[in-house]
Amino acid sequence: MGLIRGRERKPAGQIFTASMADIVFLLLVFFIVTYKVEVDRTKMDLPDTWIRSKVPEKAAVISIAPPDDITAPLTVRVSTGEEMSLPVSTTEEVVTFASTEVARDPNKEFIIKADEQVPYEHVDAVLDALKQSKVKNIYLLSEQKTVKD
Amino acid sequence: MRIKKKEVQSEIFTGSMADISFLLIIFFMITSAFSADRGLDFALPEDTDTPEIKQEDSIDVHVLRGGAIEIDGNGTPLEGLLPYVLDKLKQNPEKPVILRTDPDATYGDMIRAFDTLRTARIEWTDADGQPLHMDVHGKPLTDIQTISIPTRREIENLWSMLGIQ
Repeated sequence: MGLIRGRERKPAGQIFTASMADIVFLLLVFFIVTYKVEVDRTKMDLPDTWIRSKVPEKAAVISIAPPDDITAPLTVRVSTGEEMSLPVSTTEEVVTFASTEVARDPNKEFIIKADEQVPYEHVDAVLDALKQSKVKNIYLLSEQKTVKD
Repeated sequence: MRIKKKEVQSEIFTGSMADISFLLIIFFMITSAFSADRGLDFALPEDTDTPEIKQEDSIDVHVLRGGAIEIDGNGTPLEGLLPYVLDKLKQNPEKPVILRTDPDATYGDMIRAFDTLRTARIEWTDADGQPLHMDVHGKPLTDIQTISIPTRREIENLWSMLGIQ
């Protein structure tokens, strides 16, 4: 009868959303598992290397970034690996920081996160500070080198 | 007359669960950082009284400003570093490599040389990890035993000890 009257039945225009919650939960679990607080968020271009080993979690971080303005001094920040990084202005402060960490844990690992364009003398000063503080293991943070590099 | 008992609904309302999950996802997506968590590792000597190394007993790699390198005083391209070291270690596998860097060179220049030295264990072994080279005593040579990165202060101390200005 409906056809005679010229009425057509409307097709259902619904999107099936019942599995959406499952997908959302899956993503949620992924992000919770991989969640890691980055203790130093200084943006920089890390050097590329072929050899890379995993840096230990909770290792102390010393970041050396070039300044935005060429006349400004370098930005050196230190973090215990558990708290957000704080800026330091002198090498003596790095020695004090590293000595305190080594006194707390003699096997404490240190990560040097430095921009590839930083003059080596600044990295040398940090390395010297770590040696003075009797640090045993150091990691130089890098990106993976690829063939096109 | 029979009185109908009204059934108590025992469902948990889950309609807003997806909204909460989305909110949490957005939070974790924004705050989580896929940061670099790998790098070159090296161990520092335990005591400061390290034995004095004579220049002829070691391989001196000097990274100059601009990234050029000098090995034992001779300018060499970076590709020539490992073959030179291999040749020397075949004679004496315990020979340490000393990596010095000019203060005006960049950190990236130093890392390139250091990374090249660290690739020795890949270059000197085949796909199964078998050694490709032997030293003069017939023992397999698979890696550089010691790579030392002295600081400027240490080099100056050594020079003053040797009476070099």
